[in-house]
Amino acid sequence: MKDEEVDEVLEKASRVAHEVEPALLERVAHSIHASLRPVRPLPPTWVLTGGLVVICAAVAVAGAARTGFHGIAKLSLWERVPIFSTLGILAWVAGKEFVGELIPGSRHRVRPGVLLIIVSVALLAVFALLFRNYRTEHFISAGIACLLTGLLLAIPAAFLSWLLLRRGFAVNSVSAGLVGGALAGLCGVTMLELHCVNFEALHVLVWHTAVVPVSAAAGALVGWALRSRSKLA
Amino acid sequence: MARYQAGDFAAATALVERIGPQLHRFFIAQFSSRADADDLLQETWLRIHRVRHTYRPGEPVLPWFYAIARRVRIDHYRKASRTTARERSLEELPNVAATFPRGDGEVDDLEALLAPLSESQREVIRMMKVAGMSLEEVARATSCSVGSVKQKVHRAYQNLREKMSVMGLKKGPSGGLP
Repeated sequence: MKDEEVDEVLEKASRVAHEVEPALLERVAHSIHASLRPVRPLPPTWVLTGGLVVICAAVAVAGAARTGFHGIAKLSLWERVPIFSTLGILAWVAGKEFVGELIPGSRHRVRPGVLLIIVSVALLAVFALLFRNYRTEHFISAGIACLLTGLLLAIPAAFLSWLLLRRGFAVNSVSAGLVGGALAGLCGVTMLELHCVNFEALHVLVWHTAVVPVSAAAGALVGWALRSRSKLA
Repeated sequence: MARYQAGDFAAATALVERIGPQLHRFFIAQFSSRADADDLLQETWLRIHRVRHTYRPGEPVLPWFYAIARRVRIDHYRKASRTTARERSLEELPNVAATFPRGDGEVDDLEALLAPLSESQREVIRMMKVAGMSLEEVARATSCSVGSVKQKVHRAYQNLREKMSVMGLKKGPSGGLP
């Protein structure tokens, strides 16, 4: 049998009419008529994505302003350009996917898990190219301090992002949480690059990059908890 | 859809009458019980109504409807699974459709034809054949990439080709397959 023949059989079978009780459709129409008021559609994706990137940049700069712009001051121009342009591009990509997660029927170019891998690998690649000092001092204590600082900054970034997209509707709250968490994590990494003066390769590769997956995991967990709560309601 | 967002009663009624039967068929294929499908249709419309502002004029409308319908269906399935303490993934949903048709008779029941396929394969075939959606639209509705949908369709056709060849299925007098 050929594909065209299978296609023909399926076409024929799917043409069989499906009857729905008119009373049911009337009931549905009546139930929505009761609260039918004009609504304002969401703005275009690029506007929302731009808003998310601005929020992330503003939160990162505000966080660094509070703790000091020591890291960026120590970086050379040739280090600043690739680091911050990569962070900007990744924030745009993650922001666009986050907007897509909150609008039903949006186009998804990558799955949330794949996006997280792409973001993490891109950061690792840039950091591995720029930081070559493999000597380590206070690896754990300094690392945990940076990880916590990055994650703490991800919280207001996630909250403001949610505020911007609060009118959206997540068809999969776990995926939305994961992508939103990754975006907030990128905000945390940006702040660390502005502030942290520890340029040891292992410190940056492990602890700075770890902010993104940990924040994404926390976001997914929040999404899962919200879904469970809504199911119980 | 834009008129529905603007608060037009006639547009809302027309949408319910046009999309309602498609969504009802989508649910009845999953849950076999008409009462369940009726409940899900009502629940879906209430959700559609609540989030109607998330549709942007100019975007394809069917993926938007089906993405919400899928969400309602998954929530319902999970709730039912919890109640019966049988937590299984959607991929493993029981074959509620009839068994694959046997013999050389005419085949009119889409669900019977799709019975040997996995749930995800059945879903994409239903969306394409019943709702008439394109690969791109199915990808949007199921939050997958177009490549992933293509792969599911390819595997579904491969399965169906094998089953139909083994069973010697024909389209019947109106179609006249060799």
